[in-house]
Amino acid sequence: MRFSGFRELLDHWAHSAPDRPALIFARGNEPAPCTFSELRQRALRRAEELKEQPGMARGILCDGSFGCVVEIFATVLAGKRLVLLDENASDAALIEMVREAELSDIWGDEDLQELLSSHLTAQAEGGPGKILFFTSGTTARAKAVVLTDASLMSSAYNGGALLPLVPEDRLLCLLPLNHVFGFVCGLLWGLSCGASVALGRGARHFGDDCQFFRPTALSAVPLLLGFLLQHQALNPELKLVLVGAGGCPKALLDAARSLGLRVHFGYGLTETSSGVALSLGSDPFAMSVCPDDTIRIAPDGEVLLSAPTCMMEGYWRRPAETAEALQDGLLHTGDLGHLDWAGRLILTGRKKEMLVLMDGTKLFLPEYEGAIAQALGTGDLCVLLQNGKPVLLLEGAAQPLEPLWEKLRPVMADRPRGQQLCGIYFYGKPLPRTASGKIMRWAVQREGILI
Amino acid sequence: MTRREEILEKAKTIIVESLPELEGQSFDESTVINTDTGIDSMGFTLIICRLEAAFDVRIPNRQWQKLSTLGDVVDAIEKRMPKA
Repeated sequence: MRFSGFRELLDHWAHSAPDRPALIFARGNEPAPCTFSELRQRALRRAEELKEQPGMARGILCDGSFGCVVEIFATVLAGKRLVLLDENASDAALIEMVREAELSDIWGDEDLQELLSSHLTAQAEGGPGKILFFTSGTTARAKAVVLTDASLMSSAYNGGALLPLVPEDRLLCLLPLNHVFGFVCGLLWGLSCGASVALGRGARHFGDDCQFFRPTALSAVPLLLGFLLQHQALNPELKLVLVGAGGCPKALLDAARSLGLRVHFGYGLTETSSGVALSLGSDPFAMSVCPDDTIRIAPDGEVLLSAPTCMMEGYWRRPAETAEALQDGLLHTGDLGHLDWAGRLILTGRKKEMLVLMDGTKLFLPEYEGAIAQALGTGDLCVLLQNGKPVLLLEGAAQPLEPLWEKLRPVMADRPRGQQLCGIYFYGKPLPRTASGKIMRWAVQREGILI
Repeated sequence: MTRREEILEKAKTIIVESLPELEGQSFDESTVINTDTGIDSMGFTLIICRLEAAFDVRIPNRQWQKLSTLGDVVDAIEKRMPKA
């Protein structure tokens, strides 16, 4: 169903299916339900409390709990601007995000609230319905994308139109809610279809949440799916897996299909409120475009998106960057691809100097490679992906690795684990470069040196 | 065997049990978990959870990012174990 926002979503299901479980969460050692009626009541009651409180911009440190979901709905229903934050980000990154987004109030872990309290702004600007997501990646380039509950609900509708869930379905939400793929495909997709959403118990339970909640549907980033398959952690009731937010090896999708699962691969961006295309047939990388969206291919192969109902309002307080990304209503994605005979999108690479890792985070290469170059004293290098993980390719003949790792350790120390280099390779000859001297990373990758 | 050595040995066993492809690799306290072993963030989570269960301790999630070497992991566990 298509909903105009969170209020309509909650009203509709609370009236048409009041006793159906909307959320299922862990209470002690048992899964406990919260019906659509209860969820609406709790969110509205909390929204009334929030309306009485000063401050118009709230940050939520997302821990994926039942309370967190209620706070998210309540903040929007109270007419406040909402900013979703990664509670596992470093202290420095969180402070940067709070300053960037200008917040008046924070919900979540008490220690973190204390850490961030001195960076709040009492007079922070509001914005009813606005929900800000930080693009994943290195802190220096992280920026907030302004979406709305309407754009997010439209995105959930688009997903449900291509991949409908039924009320008997149970969608397991294991991904962080501060990531737009987790928010839309882990939460709103299920609720908008009137299905139940089980809220995972956090990273410690990735290996046993499927057995605990017995879902029929799951959305996952490639890294998580690989983990669940490797450790045989999927439950027999599971029928459908939606994979997105990062490049996925075909072997992984094939392994999931070999278990009899329907596996679909999705493509989308934070800027489009998550998915714009999904694979529906046997080819996991030929993706049908969602109903509200249109894809055009620029002469240089860049994927251009028109998504009138799901498109971001812009980057928070960054009009120049918004204008650069959004031209005449078309989002310049930085991805390269083409449309096949049936109009399905096939992605072929990236134009922007950025890699998307298997855990869905992004690596901005100029900054990353610059830090490596400084540490090693040479710029004749590039970072590529190998099985979705970053590895370093150095120009010239092979040399002992240990001294190189020694120099790189300080550079890697402060980075999230998924962004740390997993290997060093040698190219054996000069790296191919453009006329302006830039390394032609995709030419190197195409040579098949790394998979 | 000191308690620290005991933790290190148990950690090595759990790493190989969790990720059998690492069998045969040598580990010591200076081993950098991500770069020297290729253990990704999911594998790391699994190992930490199994170590927590083995030693009945809990390392806060936000500390996980700060654990770089196997020695750091041993430190984090030892610090949270009851005094011998």
